Amino acid sequence: MAANLNLKVNGQEYQIKVDPAKRLLDVLREDLGLTGTKEGCGEGECGTCSVILNGKLVNSCLVLALQADKADILTVEGLAENGKLHPLQQAFMKEGAVQCGYCTPGMLLAAKALLDSNSSPTKEEIKLAISGNICRCTGYDQIIRAVESVVKARERN
Amino acid sequence: MKSGYQIVGKRVNRVDALAKALGKAKFTSDFKRQDMLIGKALFAKFPHAIIKGVDTAKAEQLEGVQAVLTAKDLPGRNGYGILVPDKPVIAEKKTKYEGDAVALVAAVSEEIAKKALGLIEVEYEVLPAYDDPRQAMKDDAIHIHEAHPAADKGNILTTVALDSGDVEKAFREADIIIENSYETPMVDHAYMETDVCMAEPDPLTGGLTLCSPQQAVYATKRCLAPVFGIPQNKIRTFCPIVGGGFGGKEDSVLDVSAMAGVLALKTKRPVYFELDREEVFRTTGKRHATYIKHRMAATKDGKITAVDVETILDKGAYTSMGGLNNPLMAVTQRTAMYAGGTYFIPNARARSHSVFTNHPYSCAFRGFGAPQAMFAVECQIDELAKALNMDPIELRLKNILRHGDRTIFGQVMKENRGLGLEECITKVKGRMDWDKSLDQGNGPVKKGKGIAVFMYGTGIPLLFEGASCYVNLELDGSVSVAVAATEMGQGIVTALTQTAAEALGVRYEDVNVTYSDTATAPDCGPTVGSRAAVVVGNAVLDGCNKLRERMLSVASKEFKKDPRDMDIKQGEVFIVGKPETTMPLAAIVSKAFITQVPLAAVGTWYPPQPSFRAEDGQGEPMHAYTFGVQAVEVEVDTETGELSVTRSVLACDVGKAINPSLVEGQMEGGAAMGIGWAILEEGFMNKGVMENASFHNFLIPTIKDLPELESIIVEHPNDLGPYGAKGIGEPPLIATAPAIRNAVCNALGISINTIPLTAVRILAAVKNQQAVGGGN
Repeated sequence: MAANLNLKVNGQEYQIKVDPAKRLLDVLREDLGLTGTKEGCGEGECGTCSVILNGKLVNSCLVLALQADKADILTVEGLAENGKLHPLQQAFMKEGAVQCGYCTPGMLLAAKALLDSNSSPTKEEIKLAISGNICRCTGYDQIIRAVESVVKARERN
Repeated sequence: MKSGYQIVGKRVNRVDALAKALGKAKFTSDFKRQDMLIGKALFAKFPHAIIKGVDTAKAEQLEGVQAVLTAKDLPGRNGYGILVPDKPVIAEKKTKYEGDAVALVAAVSEEIAKKALGLIEVEYEVLPAYDDPRQAMKDDAIHIHEAHPAADKGNILTTVALDSGDVEKAFREADIIIENSYETPMVDHAYMETDVCMAEPDPLTGGLTLCSPQQAVYATKRCLAPVFGIPQNKIRTFCPIVGGGFGGKEDSVLDVSAMAGVLALKTKRPVYFELDREEVFRTTGKRHATYIKHRMAATKDGKITAVDVETILDKGAYTSMGGLNNPLMAVTQRTAMYAGGTYFIPNARARSHSVFTNHPYSCAFRGFGAPQAMFAVECQIDELAKALNMDPIELRLKNILRHGDRTIFGQVMKENRGLGLEECITKVKGRMDWDKSLDQGNGPVKKGKGIAVFMYGTGIPLLFEGASCYVNLELDGSVSVAVAATEMGQGIVTALTQTAAEALGVRYEDVNVTYSDTATAPDCGPTVGSRAAVVVGNAVLDGCNKLRERMLSVASKEFKKDPRDMDIKQGEVFIVGKPETTMPLAAIVSKAFITQVPLAAVGTWYPPQPSFRAEDGQGEPMHAYTFGVQAVEVEVDTETGELSVTRSVLACDVGKAINPSLVEGQMEGGAAMGIGWAILEEGFMNKGVMENASFHNFLIPTIKDLPELESIIVEHPNDLGPYGAKGIGEPPLIATAPAIRNAVCNALGISINTIPLTAVRILAAVKNQQAVGGGN
């Protein structure tokens, strides 16, 4: 039996019918066509499916779609606004924080969730914030540098 | 060497960075369509068993099931593999590891496909499963393959032998002999993107299209054509960007593509076949676990005179890249070839045995056997230093290969191919403040420093080497390059874009490189072996140079000048020394177009013919070698066994960094992966069953496990590489584990010769030492 689901994703309202067993991750990818959110393990261990739900970073593979009813969700596709890149996206490109790119959407959102709650995090706080997101390519240094550069730019302004 | 490059050596942004940062870059699974059937496999319940019967009747009757296949339903040969077709698509008589499929299902939904798997009944007769190759190689062991097409003897797939000088005499005359055993674990590549294939029959040609993340589109179709009973020219294999490979997706692509392909042919429908993370752990390839006995002879003043090394490799259930007889000896060959490390050692004997077990097949994994071999030899050097009371760096400098020296496999080292090891050592020593001792304090935490060095040959010349590509000049002056190489995060598309732009004298933005599709590009070999930027790069250089010569010839007529007096830069053609004479390249290309000068070229490159004699392991297998040094500082808690790597400095001689940011990306990522192999990662196998098939308990490094990763690029150019480049994809992780092990020994005064150095292992060693009353 399909159930009604109301969502606001990246500022856009959706009213859809979904299978109650569906995960939020599948609804984003299959029903809304937002394939920027990736699946890496399906059990909340790797962080590739991270999205921001009502201001909190969650693994969308562990959230049933109906648990997100009436929620406000931000996915990687919503980071850039009016064609303007988010500073984190610019920094990830500039610092070489993007390699294969599979963890990138989740990493960006983990960093965004941190900066939303803490405008000038320390290096240790940055590390803690992205410690739930696995990257097998970079060794993380470039990712930390990217987040730090955004923090520094904010402090200058 | 030419200097003053326009684009080579510059830190330009990756060509794919923007799309990836926007979340708009599509991976294979992002192309899944609603009309595709879902394919699933029923994998073996027992890793080693005789299949007495498979009953699929109930599954076939389930509504929504479109096909159920067992071994008798296949369209072609029930076997495939990169070196030998010994892995079945569907196991028929026996299961040899828990990743053998016994039946396949295609259904209209994932839910129905999974339900159908549960309705298939299989009757097994369980056999004892082998976890340890040392047991499996015994004469009385059950043969895992009853009639293997290539195995030497019983469960021994192959033995590689290397002999040089007079080993017996050298050991008789040695002042000191260091003899130890080492063990390295079987680990998963843990690429973030799981394996998936979309297979679609092509009604126009009667062929098949396979889209799957992978590392070798041509090898995939060559290996699988007999499975489908379709000629190679009617199979198209391609992939979009890949979410990490590290060697694993050279093989795992065959598994998912074979299963998806036979289901698509049976149903005549497109089929989507994806492995979940647990299935990736249980069924896809792994790094070969090794058991190494290493003997080293030396004089009392620290000159190494001989090595005698026996390596036993856990082959797992199938050959994969494990190695066959000459010349396809692959990983097994590398463990023998690198058994003497980076040192000049006049006498050597190495025997490497690759042995079947009931584990996942061992395959290519970043380093291809070198990390295992270098682990043993770099630990041995530190043991020798300790025995002689010498500094480990001083001892290494006394023995490293220099210009004119011969390796244990007989290759003479040449400075003109890049020989920057000594510079790497000097730079790391300085950066680490090596001679300054660490402040130990009085607590339970002990600090230590360790170092290790490595060498690694660029490419895979004993398997298949060489590359072709297409280069095409467009009438607007832009350039199209088509290669069959794979972009899996390493940045090959960016490096080749820089190479082409530099060679043709056009702007970086004016080159477009298409990739990883057999329909658009010729074979450039697999994207493995740290070869693409060098071997494929040389092919791109060749194609660009051909077009450049043609355009300069056309321009010379316009300018009435000798072509040798003309140049192209930033898309402008001009007379050398007279920059005011410029004409846009687009105008020259248009002139060429109407004067019957071809605008397309095939670029090719092959290295010098390699050699490696089967009888004694002597030859010149690689055209160039990358060198490097890893140093670390560690802290070890003697009460909990907890190990922290607190500093990592890595220097690599890369010949020439085409893009230093990409090179540092490989170096930092390699060091991180090396730290994982050294301290965390280990597949727990119990009678062929993986007990930690999840990221929950198969741990790979998170940011909290790593220190800042410092990289030092050293450039000793390779005169056969594009702009001097050597391979850098795999090398950075090779020396990390021995450097950490040596640092732990330095901290504790205890030699631990098995990795990973988990808290359990370290604590056991500390307790054991306390029990026997040893220590500092």
